[in-house]
Amino acid sequence: MSAPREHNLKIGVSGIRGVVGEFLTPALAAAFAQAFGTYVGAGRVVVGRDTRPSGEMIQHAVCCGLLAAGCEVVDVGIVPTPTIQIYVEHIGARGGIAVTASHNPPEYNALKLFNHEGLFFNHYERSELIDLYHQSDFYHAANEEIRPLASDYEAPGRLHLDRVLSQVNAARIRERRFRAALDSVNGAGSLLSIAFLRDRLNCDLHAIAVDPTKPFPRVAEPRPDTLGDLAELVRRERREIGFAQDPDADRLAIVDETGRVLDNDDVLALVMEAVLARQPGDVVVNLTTSSVIDDVAARYNCRVWRTPVGEANVVERMREVNAVIGGEGSNGGIIFPRVQLCRDSYTGMAFLLDRMAATGCSVSQLAALLPRYSRRLGKIPFEHGRLGTLMRAVEDAFPGGAVDRTDGLKIAMAAGWVHVRASNTEPILRLAVESRREQDTEEMFSRLMSLAG
Amino acid sequence: MRRALRISNAGLRGVIGNGLTATHAIDFASAFGTFLEPGPVVLGRDPRASGAMLREGVIAALSATGHDVVDLGMVSTPVIQHAIRRIEAAGGISIGASHNAAEWNALKFFGRNGIYLNTAESSELLDIYHPRKYAFVTYEALGRLREEAGEIDRYLDLLADAYDFDVLRRFRVVVDCCNGTSALILRRLNERHGCRFVLINEHIEGSQFAHEPATNARTLTLQLAPLIVPLEAHAGFLFDVDSDRVALATERGDAVSEEMILPMLADHLLPRSAGKLVITNLSTTALLEEVAARHGGSVVRVPVGRQAAMDALAAYRPEQVALAGEGTGAVMMARFRFIYDGIASMLAILTMMHERRQPLSEMIGSYSRYSMIKGEVPLNSRHIPALLMRLQREFPDGEANVADGLRIDWADRWFHVRVSQTEPIVRIICEQRGETPRALYDSVLDFVGRFA
Repeated sequence: MSAPREHNLKIGVSGIRGVVGEFLTPALAAAFAQAFGTYVGAGRVVVGRDTRPSGEMIQHAVCCGLLAAGCEVVDVGIVPTPTIQIYVEHIGARGGIAVTASHNPPEYNALKLFNHEGLFFNHYERSELIDLYHQSDFYHAANEEIRPLASDYEAPGRLHLDRVLSQVNAARIRERRFRAALDSVNGAGSLLSIAFLRDRLNCDLHAIAVDPTKPFPRVAEPRPDTLGDLAELVRRERREIGFAQDPDADRLAIVDETGRVLDNDDVLALVMEAVLARQPGDVVVNLTTSSVIDDVAARYNCRVWRTPVGEANVVERMREVNAVIGGEGSNGGIIFPRVQLCRDSYTGMAFLLDRMAATGCSVSQLAALLPRYSRRLGKIPFEHGRLGTLMRAVEDAFPGGAVDRTDGLKIAMAAGWVHVRASNTEPILRLAVESRREQDTEEMFSRLMSLAG
Repeated sequence: MRRALRISNAGLRGVIGNGLTATHAIDFASAFGTFLEPGPVVLGRDPRASGAMLREGVIAALSATGHDVVDLGMVSTPVIQHAIRRIEAAGGISIGASHNAAEWNALKFFGRNGIYLNTAESSELLDIYHPRKYAFVTYEALGRLREEAGEIDRYLDLLADAYDFDVLRRFRVVVDCCNGTSALILRRLNERHGCRFVLINEHIEGSQFAHEPATNARTLTLQLAPLIVPLEAHAGFLFDVDSDRVALATERGDAVSEEMILPMLADHLLPRSAGKLVITNLSTTALLEEVAARHGGSVVRVPVGRQAAMDALAAYRPEQVALAGEGTGAVMMARFRFIYDGIASMLAILTMMHERRQPLSEMIGSYSRYSMIKGEVPLNSRHIPALLMRLQREFPDGEANVADGLRIDWADRWFHVRVSQTEPIVRIICEQRGETPRALYDSVLDFVGRFA
């Protein structure tokens, strides 16, 4: 089998993402932004970025395209992605663009696109935009329609934190003066997270990687294998909790007081429990998120909806069913609509601290109360054209289960479930297996891997 | 067809919205960043609203090709050119359409020395632009933006070295800034050196200029000339938006032909210059030859357009040349490193007034009178070669020059028929020592009209 092709540039319904330089060029970013400006119309558009080195260059290109479409650009500088989304909605802008490749390595950059409510474009909006882009069907503003560049570097962050804190008992958290640790990967959350935890929530804070002018000191995605420094800090400085963000601070990972990095599904479950304890309601997660969610929801008699993988899918369903909380366990995304219908690491931090303050429990104690599942995640490359065969083989290998084809193939059996889906961004199959017993999980996982051969 | 976009050796110029787009600017700046040697690039812009948009694209493109950008903000083109020298930048870009209407904008490109690219260099730039193959760097090597305020003051330092403001501040001068960058410079000159420039149309404006920003006798009379007598000013000057061109009016409120600027400056500079050459184009007044001859100088005539002037400058040693310019009021002096500079030209003329102890009207009156008629005829490009050939046969007794269309000279008169670089029209320029060359002009116009 040939090596998978490098996907250095991807322009599709999820926007535009690529390796900066030869692939993601300034002309491409500007053209895409001009298509966006054409689509949302000549009004205010909020633009911000994460801290990756190409952010400044790409943001200039984006501003160029938006101004050329006659938009009034409001530059909010380096801020978390959820901050942009909240600000777009708050000021009644036509839309927003975050220049961030989220958890991707530093050579990548991307544009995340938001509508006037600060939400990811839905599927139909996205395909309309992509058609505009491909047709080069741009609005070209005349000189007198071109607006000067505006900026607001203060209000967006403050507004974001205010919204989050209005949802929890901040006074109770402040009183506890939690001993917390933070790793912001020198990302867009660096300064805002310090303001949040130290100043607004009175934490006794030990922070690392909070210099937005420095490169990412670790792999950008916050995972157990990338958070060694934070875990070490928690143990050494005897912290009660450690928080880790990705470069655009929408994702959250948690280290407990023993220095163990929690499974992202468990983090979502803990936040969900904190939310449902205050306000029961429907829950939305993607198909590949752990069953621990169903168990927690059941404690509060709440319904769980499952969607295809992808923040936009989860958000669309949450809107439809008026969910109180949702997310995607696998990637550390916590979505709480009362703050904003988007992944937000600050909401997660606030609810966890609130739960700890309310119960007096440590993180590990809270986690221990969750039902235990054994999970295996994996990925295998596939050749185009072999996907159908592979999927049929998977189905044959797990007979008798309940089949869900909403996103790839998920087969639920008595012992547990397997989920196989093609990645949206790379020519790989993502595999997820979960059961109550480790040996069952291992057996199902190796059965899956053997099919991939 | 009225052309709304022009990509040529002179750079990139077009009407924003239906000609010149963000993509053009980014592509062209990417080509420029690829063309340049490593090093920072100086950037500045005139007040056109579209400048804010083009600026973003240019910064992105230069950064993507690995160049740090030093943004001077809103400044005149000469300020950008001097800054390139000062910081030893790899080059520079001026965003601004100088004398064009507000809906136009343009990118002008400068090399390492702050001088416009010559034809060989700009051809190379176009050859990089057209295949759109640019040398983008990886993310670690991207250029950074630095904003640099205060460059206007450094430019004033240069002016203060060349001119005696103790003397010049005695003049009361009315200036029509046409909402452009000259206002920023002259306001600062008033503050720093106590000059008495009375500014009109001095607010910076992005889309509604007080009037067409051309520098000529007609635009002088719109607002500036009538103010001169009531204000008891010694002179009036008018600048285009990026201050590289100038026009003037006398203390009596009379608009002076823009053709006079270059001969007057030649008269001022040739006696004090070792270089004796004056470079100008074929459409500029013959008064220049008369003035040059008086000081042992000689005139080099080249095709119309900045590019030809830059190539001519490159063909001589700098110390051979006293000044270069055109009849539009754009003049570059050796002292200012051959940078078109309307403000330096104005200060030179004020210095002349001081040295000669003469009112401006008398000084103008001391030159022989030449009369010029200009006109234009729309013409299909297909007919132009035949027109030019037959026109030359029609006037066999004159001396013909075919470097740019056709110019025919007689002892006391000449005409020049050339094709506009921006529109499909033929321009006719006809000049005679003394009286208006009406008969010659009419016969040329009639001849050209037959091909229309």
